[in-house]
Amino acid sequence: MNRVVITGIGIVSSLGRGKAATLDALREARSGIRIIASIDPTPLNCRIAGEVPGELTEHRGHDRFTRFALLAAEEAASQAGDLGLAPERVGVLIGTGLGGAETLDQNYKRLYGENARPHPLGIPTSMYNAASSAVSAKLQAKGVSYAVVSACASSAHAIGLAAQAIRTGQADAVYAGGADAPLSYGIVRAWEAMRVLAVDNEHPSEACRPFSADRKGLVLAEGAAVLVLESRENAERRGAEILGEIAGFGATSDAGHVTDPSADGAARAMRLALDDAKLNTVDYINAHGTGTRANDPTETAAIRTVFGADAPPVSSTKSMHGHAMGASGAIEIAASMLALRDGFLPPTLNLVERDPACDLDHVAREPRPARATTFLSNSFGFGGMNAVVAVTLLPSR
Amino acid sequence: MIRAVTRSEIEEQLVAIVRQEKNVADELLKPETELSAAGIDSLDSLTILFAIEEQFKISIPDDEARAVKTFGDLIDIIEKRV
Repeated sequence: MNRVVITGIGIVSSLGRGKAATLDALREARSGIRIIASIDPTPLNCRIAGEVPGELTEHRGHDRFTRFALLAAEEAASQAGDLGLAPERVGVLIGTGLGGAETLDQNYKRLYGENARPHPLGIPTSMYNAASSAVSAKLQAKGVSYAVVSACASSAHAIGLAAQAIRTGQADAVYAGGADAPLSYGIVRAWEAMRVLAVDNEHPSEACRPFSADRKGLVLAEGAAVLVLESRENAERRGAEILGEIAGFGATSDAGHVTDPSADGAARAMRLALDDAKLNTVDYINAHGTGTRANDPTETAAIRTVFGADAPPVSSTKSMHGHAMGASGAIEIAASMLALRDGFLPPTLNLVERDPACDLDHVAREPRPARATTFLSNSFGFGGMNAVVAVTLLPSR
Repeated sequence: MIRAVTRSEIEEQLVAIVRQEKNVADELLKPETELSAAGIDSLDSLTILFAIEEQFKISIPDDEARAVKTFGDLIDIIEKRV
């Protein structure tokens, strides 16, 4: 089977646009969570989110999630350079939890609120594969392409499936990642109704407190990350800089409660990813770490089940960039790679007093200098769908 | 007093609508230009038809919309209804 390496990273999140801004924020343990500005937050109870800063001017005519995907894909492609492959051998797999939520929200507002007609491009703009389609056209990738949907595990699944496609020879390279833009009025209100949001409009940067005894819930966020994955053979042939390797992928279903996660499903996914990567342990775990009562103790139990007393250091970068839904896995893999390659483990912000049910080696509040070369990225979606990706930074053999 | 919109006024407004949707060279913005020659694809024309309907407060049936080839066809359709 072909080995799968990473030769390009593109990221846009509340921490900023691009790798440099992201790395600065991670290094400075800076939160990207602020009062929402892209829509009027006045009618909202929860007015904070991990919003991409600045006005979005690029790629007009697409839904917001597609525009983020295009920005991330362009950055990743620019780093990877010319793949030297026939377009038919290059694929695009972009995961998304909510697809074109902004477009649907605007159309429903027109339809039900203003008795006006929906925009004629509402269907192709809002479809879940709109981002994959736009990236495929933009980068002229004519091989395997579709969207991957598993709520908040979508982009982790997309990256895992992209690696499988390269391993098995379905493609020689894949632009893989995820994008979501859930900060439309209807979606935020629907999340409010679930009573899982951290509402702290006075202190946005302190709202997201994963694993903390006084955690309040999750903070919605938006953004995208795209990785350029290619066969190691192709990367070596063209002399590309290899940033890391997708060493393993594990995917499971809880087959249980739709929103209450199970430790068993998460643990099995981690174990599968480790087995697939032929690793016994890793140097770091980027946790799903939503900051909800449902996730954090369950994920802790799952990590303990797999790693026992010697569990590696853990953090949740969602504490900084928020929960970017289906884009989370890709954003967190990208962020972890940037931090680890720079010599530190990214922290969990606001973790002052640990929840006794979350007894792990937490990288709390400040980055921790480390020479770490292997990590797991956990993503657990509503519906009980779990995806874990194992990444190594120094491909061996 | 309500006054009929003249054909040149329609053309003027149509040019503004098209310009909003697509960057079309001035010399191509003539009644005889085919939409495809101006780089307007099927999705662009859907958006333009939508904007026409909204602006002129008219409704263009699907079969007439599908038969449109040139900017002049669009002007005819609008003129018939305003």
